[in-house]
Order: sequence, then C-alpha cells, then structure tokens
Amino acid sequence: MSTPLLANAFSLQGVSKTFSYFKLESLTLSLPQGQIMGLVGPNGAGKSTTIRLLMGLAAADGGTIEALGYRIPKQVEEAKRAIAFVSDDMRLFPGATLAWHMRFVASIYPAWDQMYAEQLLKRFNLRPPQSVAKLSRGEHVKALLLLALARRPALLVLDEPTSGLDPVARHELLTELMEIVADDKRSILFSSHNTQDVERICDQIAFIDRGRLVDSRDKEAFLERWRRISVDVPTGVVLPRLADVVDLSLGERVAMLTTDNYLPQMHALLEHGGARVRDVQRMSLEEIFVACVMRSRAQEPS
Amino acid sequence: MNPSVFWALVRKDLYLLRGFMLITALTGVLCLVLISFGKVAFAVGGVLFLTADIASGIFIAMYSLLAERKGQARAFALSLPISGFRYELSKLVSGYLAFGIPWLVLTALALGVFLLPGAERGMIVYALLLQMFVVALFSVMLAALLAMQSEGLSGVVILVVNICFSLFVIELNLPQNTRAFHGPAVVWTRFATLSLSLDAALLVLTLGFSLVLMSRRRDYV
Repeated sequence: MSTPLLANAFSLQGVSKTFSYFKLESLTLSLPQGQIMGLVGPNGAGKSTTIRLLMGLAAADGGTIEALGYRIPKQVEEAKRAIAFVSDDMRLFPGATLAWHMRFVASIYPAWDQMYAEQLLKRFNLRPPQSVAKLSRGEHVKALLLLALARRPALLVLDEPTSGLDPVARHELLTELMEIVADDKRSILFSSHNTQDVERICDQIAFIDRGRLVDSRDKEAFLERWRRISVDVPTGVVLPRLADVVDLSLGERVAMLTTDNYLPQMHALLEHGGARVRDVQRMSLEEIFVACVMRSRAQEPS
Repeated sequence: MNPSVFWALVRKDLYLLRGFMLITALTGVLCLVLISFGKVAFAVGGVLFLTADIASGIFIAMYSLLAERKGQARAFALSLPISGFRYELSKLVSGYLAFGIPWLVLTALALGVFLLPGAERGMIVYALLLQMFVVALFSVMLAALLAMQSEGLSGVVILVVNICFSLFVIELNLPQNTRAFHGPAVVWTRFATLSLSLDAALLVLTLGFSLVLMSRRRDYV
C-alpha cells in the first residue's frame, strides 16, 4: 500500500490516560519513518497502554496522536489500512482454520502478498488447514505474525511478540523484522521487556516506567554514553563530585560510578583528587535500562 | 467509513455461527414434525421447540460477544481497519442476523403448522406471542452483554432472561389467556396486544440503548 511521504511513522504529543490504578503521564514519543523502535519497560509500565492508544483501541484523555499522518482515533480506520498490530494476548477466531484467516485478511487488504504468506507458512512451519483452536501458543503467535506481515504494512506494531516463542522462532521473527525494514519506508514499534531482542534489532529505544517516559534516543547513543567506571579510592581520598553520575556505590577501597554521559576527561578529574581509574566498562542495554529506571524512581516525588 | 470491513466482520460471525444456526432450524423442524404425533408428543415437541428457540439466543449472544471478548479475538478484529464503534455495530448486526435467520424459519414453520387444515387458528396468536417474546428477550440479552464487561454479571443476565421466559410461559398458559387460542379463528385479546406492544417497546429501547452505549464507549481492549 502506498503511503504519503512522512517524517514520522507515528508521534505522540503529551498523551495522557488515567485508569483506576494506573496513569500514563504526558507521553511524548515519535518514530522516524523506516526505523525500528523498541519500547522497553517492566510489566505494568504502560507499554501496552501506549500501543492501545496508538492503535485507537483506547482514547487518550489528553494530547495528540498521529500514525502515518492520520489523527488517532478520528482517522483510525484510514490509518489501520496501513498498520498491522500483533500483541501477545491477541487470539484468532477459534472456530476457523488458518487458511480461512488468510483468505479473510486477504479480502480486506489489497496489498496482501500471497507469495510472501506462503513463504512465511513454510518458514514458520504452519499448516493452513489446521484449526487455530488447536495451535500451540508459539504457533498462534506465528500465525498472527504471518497475517500481519503478509499485509505488507507501512507500520508494524508489535506488543511483546516474542514472549510466547521458543529461541529458534524468536530468532526467525527478529530476522524477518530486520528484512522488513530493509525497505526504508516501513517502520516497526516493538514493545518488550526482553532487552536482548530490542538491542538486536532496534534503531531507537524508549524506556518507560510507571506510566512515564524515562528516556528515549538512538540505540547507539545509549550504548556510547553509558559507562560503568571502577575506581580505586585510597584511604583518605575523597572522590570529586562529577556531573552526569547517576549512581555511585562505594566499597572499602573501590567505588563504582555509573554515568549516562561518559567523557574521557572524567579520568583526569577522578585521578586529580588521588583516585585511580581501574576499569571502564560498556554497559549492556539491560544494565542501562535498569539504571535508567532506578534513577527515574529515585527522582519521583515520594 | 469502510463498509467492506464491516460486512466482512458480519459475514465472519455468520460463518462461525453457521453450525448452530443450522442445528437450531433443524431442531425446530423436527419438533414441529413431532407435535403431530399426539398429545404427549405435542407437549414434548413444544418444549423442545421453545428450548431450541431460547437456547439459540443465549448461545449466539454468548459466543458472539463474550467468547470473542474473553478469548482475545476481539483484539484481532479491532486490529483491522475498523473503528471500535463500527466493530461493535457489526457485532450487533451479526447477532440479530444469526439469531433472526433461524428464528424466522422457526416462526414461519410454527405459523404454518397452525394454518394447516384442521388446526386451531387461534394458536397462531399463541405462537406469535411466544416468538416475539423470545426476540425481545434476545435483544435485552444482547444489549446487556454489550454493556457489561464482567463475566459474572453476564451470567446473571442470562439467568434473569431464563427466569423471565419461564414466567412468561406460565402467564401465557393461564386459562384466562389460553381460552382465546383454542378456537377456529385468530382472536387478538387485550393480553395479546399488550404483550406484543411491550415486546416492540423492548426491542426499540434495547436497540437504542445499545447504539447510545456504543457511541459513548472510548476504550475497547
């Protein structure tokens, strides 16, 4: 399906939504077209709520949402013609076969790619005549993904898609997603609490916790800026106060500093006061995520 | 506005409910054959006919709305290019069609039986009152299940519908009401016209209630 040339696949501006026991607070987030964004957060952080608002399945209390240039929820029907959405708790109609579902979806989407659907059937080892009620959890997720991918959507929205998959199926799915964005007009929003999956495929990363956006930027920027610095601190030496240190754990003679804006000049500042930099470690996305969340929670008003 | 997706969802529901619609219609035919075999068979056939009638309403409403909601297939349907309002409208339309098609067959057959030579024509009113009450109850049930998100409350609605049906059958079979039915001609008693008017009012009210509710709903999953 052809979509207008857009800067952003979607954008959320100051979006809020309140439920009885949960509040999404003034969320601002956007994804440039042709990129994959990983929406990462612990369970109950607001990932699914964000996605439901984007898909028009729930209405925001405030703020504006646009997907593929369409206002959501006002123009949700037009937007969903070029968006495919799969969530881990989504199910197909239990009384029908996979073949029936393929015909059903193909009848709705003119861009349905039957050849690609057949390739995916083989790759995912799915049998079209099988009733979807008899599919295993993993097979069900694969069937949903097949129905989403063969529509050739401009924006693919996946809410925890890998949670029910075995490692091989997960690998196949992630490879498939990377192939999709080889076409630079297609974009993916991928929510997960599995940072390994996100680190593998995403260009953009947004961390969300307790209904608030903790941080959002380019993946490489995250990986380049965050460091863990191990420092020997001789007796009597006091560590200087450094900007951008988000966590400091002090042992008897060793300190561990976590920074979100590492600069080589930090070595000189630390060693000037008598400390000695022992080691500087790059952090994994999971470590960065945990540090971001802990910092955000520490800054929350009690 | 996307009529093709709307009707694709309606057709989907009719396809998934086709087996039950067929069984309901066939059960009705068998019951009507059965009632021609004497007084006991008439009573048994009549009870089975009414059971098929009311059970089809309960099953269709439950399967179409509750099962799709509970089984998370609603999220899949809502991922298609359709708004939440139009999705729920498709459920309403498919619900009435899935119930209405076998209901029409059963009603036509029931009326046909009482039009046969030698049959008591007065029973046409009896059959119409029962069939119209079943439609009104179905409409109440569909509206209530559409409004309620709780499974427990939905169960209460189904129970209340069953009790209402039993009470109506008792009322309908009181001697002062049945007297007019056992005659060679159709007689519209005050009870009959009042009952049909209430059925029509219930249909209009529940349909209106459903549409207002659907237009106000903001969250679907």
